[in-house]
Amino acid sequence: MMEKNQGSNLANIEEIHIPKQLWQQIKDHCRRKLEGKYLPGETKVKRAYGLLAGTVHDKFASCQKVFFFKKNARMVEPLKSYMDSVMERYAVASKTPLSQRGWITDPEELRQCYEMCDKEGLTAIGTYHMHIVPWDHDPLRDTPTKLDRVLAKNSSLYCFIVSMVDPEKPIIRAFYEGIKEKEVPIVFT
Amino acid sequence: MAKIIIPSPLRRHTDNRREIVMDAPDLATAMKGLLDQYQGLNFITEEPELLSVFVNGKLVEGGQEKWKEVALNDNDEVTLIIPIAGG
Repeated sequence: MMEKNQGSNLANIEEIHIPKQLWQQIKDHCRRKLEGKYLPGETKVKRAYGLLAGTVHDKFASCQKVFFFKKNARMVEPLKSYMDSVMERYAVASKTPLSQRGWITDPEELRQCYEMCDKEGLTAIGTYHMHIVPWDHDPLRDTPTKLDRVLAKNSSLYCFIVSMVDPEKPIIRAFYEGIKEKEVPIVFT
Repeated sequence: MAKIIIPSPLRRHTDNRREIVMDAPDLATAMKGLLDQYQGLNFITEEPELLSVFVNGKLVEGGQEKWKEVALNDNDEVTLIIPIAGG
């Protein structure tokens, strides 16, 4: 097992490489959730949340694996109260009730995910979630919202936004800690 | 001595170290030692409801108030988890 990794370089990379088959897995995950098809033990919400892990090099990060989170701890205390307060303060009004918005990882599921990353010599590169509703001022919804930025603060991870406004033409973009000015281009390999 | 396992997103605050070895009789002492040594990690206690601590894979219930009651033995593994979230 590695005593050290290269995670500290994530903020300074210039590209993120995602193999096409991984991008396909992410699209399949998002489409399945949009269709309301759930796996055993999976929280039944039309939200997809996952983590991309891989290796970090001087100029780029290379994604090698996707973890699909199953449990949304959004309604589990004390995380529920935290998410409620953040939502009330930063979420843009939407037809979806605040209580049904957002995903926060179950601590045990995340612990297992990080443990698996360590066993496989992978570094967490970022998380993804989808935006599905077009806004008048942002019809593609392929950038992070203020809420995304608040939730990604101090994460040291990329916030991957998957626009599923048109499920036939999904878009994925990557922003360090959800900051629009810190977008890094994605290269499909 | 117990080992504190740092998940990869937090390692930029620990000189990229995955494991921090702590000679501490209990979890409270170990956490204080960790945060004294790596002050960049102090933000993890600013919103205490977000921090989950596991000892040998088992969640420590009851928050920071209970840490003093959690004895640590040689080779115990303490894992820190800050949940990640999206809108």
